[in-house]
Amino acid sequence: VNPAGAGFAVALGLGAAGAVAGCLAPAGRRAVVVGVATAGCGVAAVAAGLAGMSGQGWALWLPQLLPLTGLRLAIDPLGGLFIALTGAVTVCAAVFGIGYTRGHVALCGRVPQAVFPLFVTSLLLVPAAAGVGTLLVAWESMALCSTLLVLTEHRRGPQVISAGRWYAVMTHLSLVALLLGMVGFATAAGGDSYSALRDAHLSGAGASAVFVTTLVGFTTKAGLVPLHVWLPRAHPEAPAHVSVLMSAAMVTTGVYGVVRVGLDLLGGGPGWWWLAVLCLGLVSALYGVLQACVAGDLKRLLACSTTENMGLAVVGVGAAGFLRAQGAGHLAGLALTAAFLHLVAHAAVKTVLFAAAGSVAQATGTRDLDEMGGLAARMPVTGTLFAVGALGACALPLGAGFPGEWLLLQALVHALPVGGTATAVVVPVAVAVIALTAGLATVAFVKAFGVGFLARPRSPGAAGASEADPIASAGLVLGGGVCVLLAVWPGLVVDRLSDAVASAGVPAASMDGAGLMLRLQVVSGSFGPLLLAVSVVAASGAAAVAVRFMHGGRVRRRARLWDCGAGAPTARMQYTATAFAEPLQRIFEDVLRPDADLEVAPHAESAYYLQRVAYRLKVPDRVEERLYRPVLNTVRRVGVASRRLADGRVHRYLSYGFLAFTGLLIGLAVTR
Amino acid sequence: VSLLELAARIRRIGRIAEPPAPAPALHPAAQVFAGSVQLRHVDAGSCNGCEIEIAAAFGPVYDAERYGARLVASPRHADAVLVTGPVTRNMATALRRTREAVPEPRMVIAFGDCACDGGVFTDSYAVVGPVSSVVPVDLQVPGCPPGPQDLVAAVRTLTGR
Repeated sequence: VNPAGAGFAVALGLGAAGAVAGCLAPAGRRAVVVGVATAGCGVAAVAAGLAGMSGQGWALWLPQLLPLTGLRLAIDPLGGLFIALTGAVTVCAAVFGIGYTRGHVALCGRVPQAVFPLFVTSLLLVPAAAGVGTLLVAWESMALCSTLLVLTEHRRGPQVISAGRWYAVMTHLSLVALLLGMVGFATAAGGDSYSALRDAHLSGAGASAVFVTTLVGFTTKAGLVPLHVWLPRAHPEAPAHVSVLMSAAMVTTGVYGVVRVGLDLLGGGPGWWWLAVLCLGLVSALYGVLQACVAGDLKRLLACSTTENMGLAVVGVGAAGFLRAQGAGHLAGLALTAAFLHLVAHAAVKTVLFAAAGSVAQATGTRDLDEMGGLAARMPVTGTLFAVGALGACALPLGAGFPGEWLLLQALVHALPVGGTATAVVVPVAVAVIALTAGLATVAFVKAFGVGFLARPRSPGAAGASEADPIASAGLVLGGGVCVLLAVWPGLVVDRLSDAVASAGVPAASMDGAGLMLRLQVVSGSFGPLLLAVSVVAASGAAAVAVRFMHGGRVRRRARLWDCGAGAPTARMQYTATAFAEPLQRIFEDVLRPDADLEVAPHAESAYYLQRVAYRLKVPDRVEERLYRPVLNTVRRVGVASRRLADGRVHRYLSYGFLAFTGLLIGLAVTR
Repeated sequence: VSLLELAARIRRIGRIAEPPAPAPALHPAAQVFAGSVQLRHVDAGSCNGCEIEIAAAFGPVYDAERYGARLVASPRHADAVLVTGPVTRNMATALRRTREAVPEPRMVIAFGDCACDGGVFTDSYAVVGPVSSVVPVDLQVPGCPPGPQDLVAAVRTLTGR
């Protein structure tokens, strides 16, 4: 029995069983049954993915199952990586989902519970697809399932419906681009299966057209600028366990697609493709993190940070493709390893962060950071795990995100001697942007944790918050454990990535991650996260002991907070999220263009006394304002204008039919 | 004046400060401060005469800092509270809280006649009383106002330098 195939079959079976259980199980037990089935599906997928990553390939062709092309599935190391990643995220999301959804009428409904395992199944099918038809079907079912799940809580308000609409349109834009690109590719190659596409060795303008079209489709799914607009809308409005899957697993399929089509199926292509990809990644990383810094909604902040991290991963992919085109294969392997490692770390971190944000939103009844505070004391487990996740998202040492970014910087820094004008221009800029992004990400997550979890509660909702459901917390703990493991022992993952990198058509970077140190062998560089962690823990422990001994026999006295003799400070005097981000917003005013409105109403009898001061601040998404609004307005205008064509008169409609028919006949008569 | 000229002038003039008087006997409760006393000043209702003298005592002429005393900005940093003026009703709570905020061991210095016994404001409707009626006082510096040299002498009994 092939372990990859068996595991994948079990995963699909459990996913289907979960969907059936979601329809049939009584409402009281639905969450538990579906959650257990989905978690089992995740475990089986992890097993299948790991088997695939270790080179135990598996392929299946069921010609009857899909019309025209048949269902083609295969697990190679590259697909295995993404299957394992999705499976691991699924386990955490499903366990968290049990605690998160049970007892909630809207979240426990038949549709959301039945669609959730289907969504997981379609997510697993995307990297397992080995043919264009299968990929497109899996892609579309992933889009449909996630759209339904985003709309789960549509009764909560019009913003959910609006988010669902934006998401549906953008995700279908992605499908249309992919359909055009992949069907064109299959036509040019004369076959549907990936091996046929690979053997076609497409090149020239045709290959570029396929690459650019599919790039639009894939980057829409990955949430890269300027196609990111659905992300800060859909992720906050979706239920937390769905946000986890969307942000940690679904967006990575976009990066998978770029790697699969660009590096694997098209065989690399010219350097400018990858230069474009790299620049797209850099812009997304910077724009995403800036939006995250000024976001006041906790889940929106996390969603913008997803754009940032996908941008960084795509920078790695772009660098890999570019360096390979330049003939620096060993560095390309390093860059692609960095991209994959970053995706894995991001998946772990976002699983924890979105799940924790969901618990917080459920406990406080708000997602607005300005109304939170004091949650670390009220929700200690959730708070601690959010801190672990936030550290991971900061790209600081001891965080899960650091090893990936470190590898990426290593690849870029050592790329300068490769030569060429493009390298000399792009590489320093890329290094600078990644460094700036890392700094800004730290600001964003210090804000999220500091304002949300520390200090005093700013609203009654936050003051009355209590710890999340224990099963939900168990899901969080699972994700947090993976974060810590990735932070202290990235070698565990890095060692298993080499086959995936090689199967993407890039020579794997040899490095030694088995020991405590992560040693690069293509370039000089080593880094020991575990030693670092041990020394930090030892140093803090030693400092704590030293303080205890050195304070001698002095008596410790609890005193009132020093308030300068005036009244005690209130919660309103604390830094809010908006205030914390204000200096940054000022620095980047030209980029962000915040819309601030100060309204001062003086007293009727004297202009020196104020009656009322109102301050409103909105930081709109500039890409959306400048790029999407004009398009939407034009569409609306055309739509309104075309209403005149349909004025309700039957005669007119009949004449339309008559004219169209005669026009068609005339056209046929003339052309044939 | 260039830096070199300044250096030359410093060398030519030499030390012009008077030698300090011999160190006074150390206040028994101030032993623990080991020669360094940080003072937090509280104006509990003073006419500002005492404040001018305090400013003079810590100015370049009297330079109380050379004996180890220093004015600090928060009671959290202080060893002793330096109170001026009679304690007005509005300042009584603030004075109590300031003393509470000083880490132990701590001292309270009543500076000026008003702080010591109420001075000309005794029995005023706006005044609670002398400092000792609100918080325990460890050291009194009488005078209306006491001169900078009196403050310097008082803090030297705390620093012992």
